[in-house]
Amino acid sequence: MRKSIFVVLSLLVLASMLLAACGGSTPAPSTGGDSGSSTSGGGDAPADGKRVLKVWSFTNEIRTMAVAFEGFYPDVEVDVVYTMIPMTDGEYQTKLKAAIGTADAPDVVALEAAFVKEWVEADFLADLNDLLPLAEELGTFPAVIQVGSHDGVTKGFSYQATPGAFFYRRSMAQECLGTDDPDQVQAMVADIDKFVETAAKIKECNPDYFTVGTSGELFNPFLANRSQPWIVDGELVIDPMVVEYIEFAKLMRENGYESQAQQWTEGWFAGMSDSLVGADGNPKKVFSYFLPTWGLPYVLIPNSGDTGGDWAMINGPLAYQWGGTWVGAMKDSPNLDLAKEFIKFVALNEENLTNWATGVYTNEYLKAIDPTVPDDQAQAPGDFVSSQVVVEKITSTFDGSELYNWLGGQNNYEAFGQAAPRVNGSLLTGSDDAIQRALESQRDQYLNGEIDAATMWRQWLDLVRSEFPDLKLPEPPVQ
Amino acid sequence: MKLTGINRNYYGYLFIMPFIIGFLAFGLYPIYNTLALSFTDYTLMSRDGSFIGLRNFEVLFEDQLFMKALGNTWLLWMLNFIPQIGAALLISAWFTNIRLRIKAVGVWRAIFYLPNLIIPAVVAALFNSLFAFYGPINQFMVRSGFMPEAMHFLQNAVVTRGIVVFIQWWMWFGQTIIIVMAGMTSIPVHLYEAAMVDGASSGQMFRRITLPLLKPILIYIFVTSLVGGMQMFDIPYLLTDGRGAPSNSIMTNNILMYMKFASSRGHIGAASAVGVLVFIMTTVCALGIFFFMRDRDESTFDKSIRKWFGRKNGNGNGKG
Repeated sequence: MRKSIFVVLSLLVLASMLLAACGGSTPAPSTGGDSGSSTSGGGDAPADGKRVLKVWSFTNEIRTMAVAFEGFYPDVEVDVVYTMIPMTDGEYQTKLKAAIGTADAPDVVALEAAFVKEWVEADFLADLNDLLPLAEELGTFPAVIQVGSHDGVTKGFSYQATPGAFFYRRSMAQECLGTDDPDQVQAMVADIDKFVETAAKIKECNPDYFTVGTSGELFNPFLANRSQPWIVDGELVIDPMVVEYIEFAKLMRENGYESQAQQWTEGWFAGMSDSLVGADGNPKKVFSYFLPTWGLPYVLIPNSGDTGGDWAMINGPLAYQWGGTWVGAMKDSPNLDLAKEFIKFVALNEENLTNWATGVYTNEYLKAIDPTVPDDQAQAPGDFVSSQVVVEKITSTFDGSELYNWLGGQNNYEAFGQAAPRVNGSLLTGSDDAIQRALESQRDQYLNGEIDAATMWRQWLDLVRSEFPDLKLPEPPVQ
Repeated sequence: MKLTGINRNYYGYLFIMPFIIGFLAFGLYPIYNTLALSFTDYTLMSRDGSFIGLRNFEVLFEDQLFMKALGNTWLLWMLNFIPQIGAALLISAWFTNIRLRIKAVGVWRAIFYLPNLIIPAVVAALFNSLFAFYGPINQFMVRSGFMPEAMHFLQNAVVTRGIVVFIQWWMWFGQTIIIVMAGMTSIPVHLYEAAMVDGASSGQMFRRITLPLLKPILIYIFVTSLVGGMQMFDIPYLLTDGRGAPSNSIMTNNILMYMKFASSRGHIGAASAVGVLVFIMTTVCALGIFFFMRDRDESTFDKSIRKWFGRKNGNGNGKG
């Protein structure tokens, strides 16, 4: 009796193991089948006969694009998988790297400016050179192509160009500088020396006023004005601009010209809506923010509370670009033709770019195509697109718009349109992200007086050495 | 009869097979694979690698950061383990003390355990906001006059380490209390009764009865905590910038390993080398704990040593 129970139990265990093994292995062959059949363009037909394009992104913008794409090509279903951790600790990049070559690998990937070069320099993205004539037709800004290319091969295109700007509060300019006129304020911050003089004036005007939220905002503008990239011939280059930036940041901190709130934290955002309160209970005000094209609709306006209309936009002390989303296709994607079609639509389709910038993609518009999109999925007008042709056509439509009024009567498109062709995309390399994060990690303690300059540079070089053991490192600039 | 015996053994093997297979696939194979990878220069972004011998380890030992990470991990673990085991022993002794008769022990124990249920990522984000420059701690300290002006708590190495240690302690001491209490309640009550009859104080009972009989439990806690502590990752990773800021003061072994793995090219070989060294270190220390905390009277190892030296010390009846 007992023996038979053992037999039955063992059989059950064996059977469950077999079932488990089968359950684990069934999806694998079917995905393998997918990749085999769909290269021919026949499609890996799910139940409703639609082809599936796997798109990975760190930003919801791509979802809007995907839905719009479905609307343009009703026979294609785009299934977008998100990883919504954009610029914090690099989880998206890690997940993407780990997925290469597996059945989970996406067909189309969104790549942020901070790490797009890693991918363009590596060997996983498809060659998109055949789309270049289209880009030429649309007048895609040179920096956008530069960043998406390596060794003459273009592997990524972007729907955005991201020249940077300087946004300031008109009321504070009127109070402390005697004018809120953009041209006159631009003259007062035309270079870094003048910027610091103006910062002193603002501090003198009211000790609870800060010129910037954090000097961290100026890291990008300084970096954009280097003469060399971080790595030249296997050796780390510490450009004089980098050293100058650290000295500048220290000066801003010691004179109380910055609010000391860290970028992307509550305190930093609070300054935008005038709700910043110091630990002593006094309200504080922040005069300006360094933000690029996308910073206006996505960062500044949503966080500005009721300060709308009190802002103005100028070029500021340094020309720069910051961020941007490129899209590329995986080289060994089974849906490469469809992926290219998607990229063409996202970055190189005049109608789409016009719709994108002018706020056509409202929630209702997207819902009509795909009823399952969330209620907050929409594209507000004002994102700056990568095509000069489109920019020139739509610039005048922003006169008198909501954005125009928010900026106290300024056309942001016009200003960005002048800055975009001047942006230099050649300084970006695949290692920037790690090197810059390492420096930021050490910078704040130096500014805070926890460590001295020599220690900061040494610890930064240690971090860089740990991450790039084969890189030749220079002597630290301060010893 | 003989046949049944063989069959029974055979069924036994069948029953442990799922575990063995699971262990081979998810335990032993990853260890083997990590070891194999640590001798290569394999990266995620190149998808191929060649055998480079011990080069990864050489690089690691030249790396200031690795030494720093090792030191940090030990420091952070010890600073949280000592108060953790201390608090657990003290509270458990109170809870199980038959003289004190504390009410609603289960409720207290549940309350102490609660922090363990919060996701570490949430805890880290919470403390990051609490201690921000414009955060509530600064607002409170300055407005109530404890501090002249706001400070960057998370830019100060000592404060940041203190916060990590506190979070680790706060999250895990409830778990330790549960295990220690389980151990204490399994000690026969008649031992304490006899001790009370003989006029023993609470302190004496704790030292002479509770602690010795709790030794196996303590060894278990010690070893599991060590293994967990050497792998400390989420709290220090998420509390600051994921790079051990300020000044690498909370950079742990696993953060360094993750950094190498997530670096621009994804150096799996180098990351595996860190993993292998941490594995070796943890194994050696865990074995060390077993060796030094073993029951000397019952250990065959000790007996053989005694035989070797021909000495007779103790006669094995210390524990009545």
